[in-house]
Amino acid sequence: MAAISYYASVLAIFACIYSIVTLGLNIQWGFSGILNFGVYAFVAIGAYTYALFTLGKPIPGASQTYILGLHLPFVVGLAAAAAAGGIVAWVLGAVALRRLRSDYLAITTIAFSQILWLIAGNETWLANGWDGVSGVPQPFNGLLKLSFNDYNFFFLGLSLVILVLVVWLAQLLLRAPFGRILRAVREDELVVESFGRNIASLKLRAFIIGAVLASIGGAMLAAYVGAFNPSAFLAGETFFVWAALLIGGSGNNWGAILGAVLVPVVFTEGTRFLPNIPSNPQLIEAFRYVIIGLLLILTLKFRPQGIIPERSDRFERAARRNRRLRSTPVPVDDAGEPPSA
Amino acid sequence: MSILLLSIGFGLITASVIAIAGVGLSLQFGVTNFVNFAYGDFMTLGMYLTLILGTALGLSVYAALPIVIVCTGLAGVLVNRLVLDSFVRKGANPIILLISTIGVSLIIQSGLLAVWGAQFQKFSLGPSQPLHLGPFIFTPRQLSILGLAVVAMVVIHVLLRYTRLGKAMRAMSDRRTLARVVGINTTWLTDWTWFISTAMAGLAGVVLAINIASFTPSTGFGFLLVIFAAVIVGGIGKPYGAMLGALIIGVITSVAASYMDSAYKDAVAFGVLILVLLVRPQGIFASRGRG
Repeated sequence: MAAISYYASVLAIFACIYSIVTLGLNIQWGFSGILNFGVYAFVAIGAYTYALFTLGKPIPGASQTYILGLHLPFVVGLAAAAAAGGIVAWVLGAVALRRLRSDYLAITTIAFSQILWLIAGNETWLANGWDGVSGVPQPFNGLLKLSFNDYNFFFLGLSLVILVLVVWLAQLLLRAPFGRILRAVREDELVVESFGRNIASLKLRAFIIGAVLASIGGAMLAAYVGAFNPSAFLAGETFFVWAALLIGGSGNNWGAILGAVLVPVVFTEGTRFLPNIPSNPQLIEAFRYVIIGLLLILTLKFRPQGIIPERSDRFERAARRNRRLRSTPVPVDDAGEPPSA
Repeated sequence: MSILLLSIGFGLITASVIAIAGVGLSLQFGVTNFVNFAYGDFMTLGMYLTLILGTALGLSVYAALPIVIVCTGLAGVLVNRLVLDSFVRKGANPIILLISTIGVSLIIQSGLLAVWGAQFQKFSLGPSQPLHLGPFIFTPRQLSILGLAVVAMVVIHVLLRYTRLGKAMRAMSDRRTLARVVGINTTWLTDWTWFISTAMAGLAGVVLAINIASFTPSTGFGFLLVIFAAVIVGGIGKPYGAMLGALIIGVITSVAASYMDSAYKDAVAFGVLILVLLVRPQGIFASRGRG
């Protein structure tokens, strides 16, 4: 029994962390239509910053080399991680969001993520290179001195508190005028621009908020696992978050959370009964990614709004009707494609 | 000086690989108007097909090449028909198509991983004696890559300039609606575009594997950004631009690799990519060479 509840608590902690990251992506893609393929770059920035702020000074001659090692408490580490993610997103977004169309932005964010990955791996002095940092202290356990099992539940509580705060913020954003303008930007940038709004600045703010949430998720990941290395932020991880958001339902926070809970559970539990083949240890893991890829395509094909669709209220429905009316006279050819601009 | 010339020589070989891949990617973007993120995985598919043909039928890499090219080409048509075509018919946003190619990429890459695992694979190629050609040193293997690239570029050039299909492709990437109005059969055109594009990917994958000697299921995906860099430098959707972009990226990365830590070879390409996107997103040669 204890084993099962322990296992459930581990899954729940990962679900909380994934939810935070996915909610961040939802603000970028779901609210504002920003195609960020560098989600895990920000998770990594958060994780490394947290680790470097909370670890003690590196011992000369020991197996790890890294900078800082400030030995600061959890809350400071978390705040530093959030700040680092926000600052990097601000710089990247300020140069990239203003000029680039969506597909170029996607390529730029992947390229940025790859450069970061190469630096994290090759610069051993920075954060121990390819081996990564380990031994990141468990938050508050210096004071609490809980058993392994109890600490797990304590950490679950901590993750839930942070998740609730994040959900509250995301819901606030969804309903606020700012959130409405973001969705208007997603639907039609030209219209918002014609009302005198600065599109680049709106998108930049959404990008920064999303990146801060991803970094907080990264910090929680490093705090829980106690380690982080470059193999934890390959491109596959980013697409995992994307799959979670799109399957759960983008544009609404509950869809994002559902996806973040469902996709990893399906991922780890759905293949539980497959036999493990010793000659190919990656078989199960690979098989899971095949399933994620299939789910992603099937969702886009048969239920593009995701499991929980975005709530469209009276005004939005009216707006959609207007758009349909407006678009009727536009000639549409046999493939149903309007003429490209 | 000799180091510079030597690295330019190596750059030419890298450029050959990128050029084959870049032209295929650019051709597809020009006609269908969305970015194919699974392109690198079609390259990897080509590598593993060559491996199968080598172990099962005992075919040498070069003998297997025509079969591999046709197979990856057909795989592209299959993916288009099974996955992408219905989105296009519904008039889906190009971004949705882009995201679904990521699904395709996950499936191909992880499918290969499931069968072969992550260990490095190698083609059985004999030893290759380096030849001194003026200031350059090439192995016959590298020269064969160069030769294949030249042949591929000539074939694509002839296709685009002198065949009905090629003219239709150029028309489609120039003015989509106009091309439809004059009665170009889009189903026929997209099928052929996918065939040619992913066949080029298969060829590019094999020459990449010859050039870097070993590969894993993620090699093609890892190379994708380098191809993007070349394609975007040349102006996306413009095959002739992609050839020039390949030359620039190939030479820049090779020269950079000989003067700095070679681990950052790809980072240089990504840096150039980001720089070009920010300064001149339409590509350096936008005014010339309509592909």
